[in-house]
Amino acid sequence: MATTATISIASSGILSNPISISKTMTMYKHNTTATSVDQLNYHRLELPLGAPTNYDLIPESAELNANPANYVYICNASTNDTQYVTISINSEVIGSLYGGDWMIFPWADTHTDTESATDQTGADSSIEAQAFGAEQVVEYALFHSGETLLTAGDS
Amino acid sequence: MATTATITVSSDIASSALSLSKSKVIKKAGTDTDYAMTTGLTRITTTATANVVILNSGDTAGNFGATAAGGDVITKGKVYITNINARGDGSEWVHVLLGTVEIGRLYGGDFMFIPWDGGAGNDLELTPSAATSTTVEYCVFYE
Repeated sequence: MATTATISIASSGILSNPISISKTMTMYKHNTTATSVDQLNYHRLELPLGAPTNYDLIPESAELNANPANYVYICNASTNDTQYVTISINSEVIGSLYGGDWMIFPWADTHTDTESATDQTGADSSIEAQAFGAEQVVEYALFHSGETLLTAGDS
Repeated sequence: MATTATITVSSDIASSALSLSKSKVIKKAGTDTDYAMTTGLTRITTTATANVVILNSGDTAGNFGATAAGGDVITKGKVYITNINARGDGSEWVHVLLGTVEIGRLYGGDFMFIPWDGGAGNDLELTPSAATSTTVEYCVFYE
């Protein structure tokens, strides 16, 4: 079982010589030599415009915190160059994904949770997103080693 | 003048294989204009376990990891970072921080590619988890 990611970046015309970057990584669990992450989530959703504020795109959890080698891929599947989605963590904006932009990054989920499942107002390390300009379609994937599942309350 | 970034992810975790692929000619924020500035592919080695500034949004003197006063302040760009070290047993990594907020950990061989908006408190910083020599490469396309 393995999950690999390969990036290539090709740039010409900025420097006098072109830039060509290529790198492949295998997504392994924390504190292991070569044991691959073994769980994944892959979603597509329409992110509403604006109000009230950020939405939790990928909620933090104790299990994700305990296994901090998590990998996140997010893509703004819209096509408009002027409309964007901000991606934040703990109230700090990492960056803006315009139509067609994508990102991939490790996520440690290290911050102490002060929110509850029904109250998202506290500071935490959830991956948050907010649409600007229009509602936008976002796709994201989380590769991980375990997440905390909510206990059903209707049993 | 164009810069294209492509990602491919392949996974056999699920019972059906997952394959993601996305390519984009990256542009300045909110425009159809190509980037005209880059750090090029830069390689740094450190034995420090203190924070190293990779991208200075104005909070820290210096530029591109340097600690000397001065240097450019960068706003907005696309950032590629990779930890060149060997993975070993997975017990050493580089913390990637946005100011004081940790995003994640780059273990040996890992990479990341993100948009970066900069702004107050949002210097992009690295903190090696151990004092063993750590080598990181990065490339930034910025405005």
